[in-house]
Amino acid sequence: MALLGQRSDVGEFRRRYRWLVLAAISAFLILVGRLAQLQIVQGDLHRAQARKNIVRERSLATTRGVIRDTEGRVLAANRPSYNVHMAPADVDLVETWPRVVKLLGLEEPEKSLLEAKIKEIQAMPAKGLSPREEKRRGQQVLLKVDVDRDIIAYLETHARELRGVEVSPQPVRYYPYGELGAHSIGYMREVGAEDLVRLEERGYRAGDRLGAVGVERRWESYLRGVRGFKKIVRGVSRRDDVQEVEARYLEEPRRVEPIPGRDISLTLDIDMITSIDKAFRGQLAGAVVVVDVRTGRILAASSKPSFDVNVASGGNGVQAVADTFRRLNADPLKPSLDKTISAAYPPGSTYKPFTALAALADRLIDPTTEVDCHGGYEYGKRFFRCTGVHRKVHLHEAIVQSCNTYFYELGARVSIDKLASVGLDYGFGVKTGIGINPEARGRMPTRSWYTRRYKEAFRGGFTLLSAIGQGATTVTVLQLALAYAALANGGTLYQPQVVRSIETSDGTVVQEFPPRVRRLIEPDQEHLNWVKSALEGVVTEKEGTAYKERIAGVDIAGKTGTAQVSHVTPRGVDPGKVWYFNRDHAWFSGYAPSRSPEIAIVVLVEHGGGGGKNAGPVAMRVVRDWQKMKEKRLSSKDEPAPSGSRPN
Amino acid sequence: MALGGRMMFRRGPAVDMPLLLGVVAIVTLGLVNLYSATSVYADTETRARLADIYVSQVYWMVVGGLLAIFVAAIDYRHYERFAGVLYAGGVVSCALVFVLGSNVRGSSRWIQLGSFTFQPSEFMKILLVLMVARHVHNDHKNEPRTLVDLAIPGLLILVPVGLVMAQPDLGTGLIMSLSSATVLLMTRIRKRTLVAIVGAAGTTSVLAWNHAMKQYQKDRITSFLDPEHDKTGIGWHALQSQTAIGNGQFLGEGFMQGTQNQFGFLPDQFSDFPFAVFAEDWGFVGCLLLLCLYCFVCVWAIHVASQAKDRFGAALATGVGALIFWHAVFNIGMAIGVLPVVGVTLPLFSYGGSSVVTTLVGLGLLMNVSMRR
Repeated sequence: MALLGQRSDVGEFRRRYRWLVLAAISAFLILVGRLAQLQIVQGDLHRAQARKNIVRERSLATTRGVIRDTEGRVLAANRPSYNVHMAPADVDLVETWPRVVKLLGLEEPEKSLLEAKIKEIQAMPAKGLSPREEKRRGQQVLLKVDVDRDIIAYLETHARELRGVEVSPQPVRYYPYGELGAHSIGYMREVGAEDLVRLEERGYRAGDRLGAVGVERRWESYLRGVRGFKKIVRGVSRRDDVQEVEARYLEEPRRVEPIPGRDISLTLDIDMITSIDKAFRGQLAGAVVVVDVRTGRILAASSKPSFDVNVASGGNGVQAVADTFRRLNADPLKPSLDKTISAAYPPGSTYKPFTALAALADRLIDPTTEVDCHGGYEYGKRFFRCTGVHRKVHLHEAIVQSCNTYFYELGARVSIDKLASVGLDYGFGVKTGIGINPEARGRMPTRSWYTRRYKEAFRGGFTLLSAIGQGATTVTVLQLALAYAALANGGTLYQPQVVRSIETSDGTVVQEFPPRVRRLIEPDQEHLNWVKSALEGVVTEKEGTAYKERIAGVDIAGKTGTAQVSHVTPRGVDPGKVWYFNRDHAWFSGYAPSRSPEIAIVVLVEHGGGGGKNAGPVAMRVVRDWQKMKEKRLSSKDEPAPSGSRPN
Repeated sequence: MALGGRMMFRRGPAVDMPLLLGVVAIVTLGLVNLYSATSVYADTETRARLADIYVSQVYWMVVGGLLAIFVAAIDYRHYERFAGVLYAGGVVSCALVFVLGSNVRGSSRWIQLGSFTFQPSEFMKILLVLMVARHVHNDHKNEPRTLVDLAIPGLLILVPVGLVMAQPDLGTGLIMSLSSATVLLMTRIRKRTLVAIVGAAGTTSVLAWNHAMKQYQKDRITSFLDPEHDKTGIGWHALQSQTAIGNGQFLGEGFMQGTQNQFGFLPDQFSDFPFAVFAEDWGFVGCLLLLCLYCFVCVWAIHVASQAKDRFGAALATGVGALIFWHAVFNIGMAIGVLPVVGVTLPLFSYGGSSVVTTLVGLGLLMNVSMRR
């Protein structure tokens, strides 16, 4: 003991021990306090976060509703397509990658870019990444869209050897009729980044598609369906105790099935649209609308030039979509414009029946009123030209021969406001509310409109121009068709309809849309009959402007129109083609059959020239095809119905 | 020497049973927990590596235990004489790191010795405690110590701390300073001197922040203060650790059931964050038990110190207790988000041969003092 030195003085330390013990215990108490906070007070919060870390919600895609025409033929459906992705972190660059490149036919520079990406991600450490890096590491990379079925089958049978390569089904919208009725049916587009802010709360995600135009856009919320989801535990596929792990960590419901979108049956008849397309072949641009005069249902709407909605929807890939729209937007014939609804044109002489009705309503004329046409009309200092010299004409001849002089005389007698008010009664100058595409209002000019517009005294000449459907008066093709339908049915203006009913995917009707009357115009039936007999005369009488274009056996009444265009050529048009854009618009508006009308038809041939010669034949042929079709359907209804009432 | 040996046998095995049981309990929990931490669900390659980690930890426990028995067997007063030599050797090996050291993650801490590596800074902790204890032992003084009196121990501390900090290994440097300072605090120090030292330490840290610290070291501190807006990922680690601990709730997820650990959300789960693994598996109840064990060992060390028959023994026991205390408080504190993430091991829980052996040798010394009071 002595060897090991003196027992030293430990008294100096005595008073310190108590303090050290106190300090140590308080330090541990602080730790315990914090632990109690984390584990007991905030325990549920942290448990939830821990679960969130390991549980992933995989969404289950829904199927978009099918769009059918009035006869149940499919206008828009879904076609399966398969995209191939890879998880860069799992791809074997030596074994798997060269096989994938060969299978999918990946080429430079895409191949090198993807390879660089794999290398970059594989260089990242597996652990200790920030959430952003983690996300980047886990991100799937798209290799190829719409891959051939044979290749998909190969990929799936060799899935075990090709780790990190994944196939995902991605339904693509398919339109069997391509260009036909494109504007009304519409197409799909991908949700853009800027829309996403607005659409996210409605459940859209990046990469989703939604209806961009037409019925696809208007009825998006019905067609779309509701996405389902299934919960999975992260990386569970690599574990051998899947069941156990899932039962432990996944809260109910673990799986919610998607709800398929609603199917939509349209009032459109694709046969009629086909026949319009045929009848229109000789013309470059224009629009046709056919409505059922007894319901306001639109049987056909066609706008030319059209485009293939399959390509516009992305059926041929993203690049094709971009190319298509670049081409469409550059075309001076404006293929992407729905000319049945979205553009207003001067109606020309097809408006004359409404001028006549306005003058008759104000008792300014009667059928015996006689006007002497010398090839024009002198009003103030101006001479208003007629299409020819018609000599003495009454109301009937004036409509049949389309005598402008007679209507200038009416224009001199009737007030512009009366013209406008009758026009408004027949649905001009206001949107019809069809809703599938942006709608032009058209214009029924009034005295106050002119005053506002020209900031000078109103001139009577304006009324004269409006009386023959020129001047500031513009209408849409659809408005004109509905107005002629109202003439034909004795004065009922219907709400136009494109959708007949909404069904669930198994065919149960969810909602039907009965015809809706917009307004009972209540015109004097006698006046109406005078006008209608004149419209019949346009086709049947020798002097009629459409007489030459009549087809034997086609029973149609109507009015031709040749609308002068303001000489404004669209921008970017080849000077050699300016003559085309200065040509008049050709119109034919009418209904059939003439005595007991069922359909109203309006044909506009943009820059087609004379109405009778250019628009008339189109209408005649469409009505001829419609008559044939009607006969065929009547006779087939007598036969026993074929099995399976629902064509798919 | 011969007399000392005979004396030990004469007195028989006066083993400090409470201390022994406490340490055995911690060792057991530590090994159980490391098993959980190394059995995360991963690919075969990773799993094999983790299994190796576990087995080698067991080996180191055995080696450390044997060393502890050896260290405890020789009367601690012999160490007082050799403290200077040991200390010098430690400082030299700390310096050698810069020459021979293998660089791991931006700092050179390890020396390759045959087939295994060791970390001189770990052993330096215990050697420094020995040296400071020796100084306190020989430095009799009745009046409170002044700055001049503290110059020599200050220098003794600063040399190895400086070397370790330069590696750079902030955590070890911090632990070394704090534990040797704790030993010095046992002596009477003038109040003015104390204030001056605290002031100097404060100034040094500010200067270090501005001029000497590496960006990643600063990031650790800033990410601690604002973990949500952390760019480095360190704050994210701290948050994941807290989530794991909170996820344990009252009774825990169960052994090897903690999802944060099993699904790989814990960074360095066997070296820096073993406590998070433990807390997630065993919950508040388990944590309370573990904290009580650590607290017991620390308090018991002070008890042993108070019973020691000389200044060296008292200072040594206090030093070993302080080492355990600061390690535990810093490691757990960082896991539960009350202290910034500095690389400090959890005694007998964290994986690492040097750390395990050092801790066990330290505890052997404590046992030594306890057996000879």
